[in-house]
Amino acid sequence: MREMTRYGLILAIICAAASASLAGMNSLTRDRIAAQAKAEEEEGLKAVFPEAADFKPVKSKEKVVYYQAYGRDGGFLGAAFKARGKGYSSVIEVIAGMKKDGTITAIKILNQNETPGLGNRVAEPEFRERFSNKRIVDLNGIQAITGATISSKAVINAVKVKANQVKELIGDEK
Amino acid sequence: MNKLFHEFFKGIIKENPTFVLVLGLCPTLAVSVSVVNGIGMGIAATFVLLGSNVIVSLIKNTVPARIRIPCFIVVIATFVTIAEMTLKAYSPALNRALGIYVPLIVVNCIVLGRAEAFAQKAKALNSFFDGLGMGVGFTLALILISAIREFLGAGKLLNHAIFKGFEPAFVFSMPSGALLVIGLLLGFFNLFKRIKQ
Repeated sequence: MREMTRYGLILAIICAAASASLAGMNSLTRDRIAAQAKAEEEEGLKAVFPEAADFKPVKSKEKVVYYQAYGRDGGFLGAAFKARGKGYSSVIEVIAGMKKDGTITAIKILNQNETPGLGNRVAEPEFRERFSNKRIVDLNGIQAITGATISSKAVINAVKVKANQVKELIGDEK
Repeated sequence: MNKLFHEFFKGIIKENPTFVLVLGLCPTLAVSVSVVNGIGMGIAATFVLLGSNVIVSLIKNTVPARIRIPCFIVVIATFVTIAEMTLKAYSPALNRALGIYVPLIVVNCIVLGRAEAFAQKAKALNSFFDGLGMGVGFTLALILISAIREFLGAGKLLNHAIFKGFEPAFVFSMPSGALLVIGLLLGFFNLFKRIKQ
């Protein structure tokens, strides 16, 4: 019994020391990690909607549904949104911009872990550019990458579904 | 001094963690798709090895043998989390490329293996050099494997295309290609050792 208490105590001391050093490390890196995440997000928004100067997140229950994009003169241009779709071997996360008339400006792949050389080519400009200046109804006609139909369709569908939702949400905002 | 050199250099060739001890193959197979990933993984693992080896060696007399594994795991996990936070703060892109394999350094058998086989019996300074040597050996092995895989699988080195008109063999980018490359390298090194004898 005494042995047990001793073991427990030693383990508790080690865990306490570990927690203390992690807490210290966390307070050192927390701000930087948050800043990096914010910078990445802004970079993504800029990449899919280059004409917009300002983005305003629209939230529902603390979660960002989409971003409203405003031009340099403050006029409402359209929206940017993130969408997710199940690809071949991972969930593909994509960010897209859409003008208020419902044409896609550009898309960018944020996260994917598809097969190298096949599915992961959805992240390359050659595929992404196929989305530019397409209306929502035309998205189905986008050519999939040879050998990577599932990954391509996942991106196309994810963008299409979310674009339709966002279109409805911004519909009354002209 | 000589002894410290020995502790350092044995991890690079004589007891190379990947090609001689054949430990930690799971992250090796998974992240060696590109040289940048290989270097990133190698540095993160080296940092964890250094930290855990030194701390384990320092606490070896206080920790009872029967609860040593949970104690070592807590120490290792702490260093892994520190490495992950640093990666997230300073190189989110690399962190994303390495993905789940950064937190999985906790269960990388090289780290626990060195704590068990070396650090818990050795002085802190020796453990430091052992960890450094093992880490460098692991990193060099990762660089070798990932250079071969990146070149054959994507036609690139360090993300630069080497020459035009080269049709890459995708199989080398996939886990099966990693197994092939590691197996052939292992065989080659064993052959080399036998010829030398």
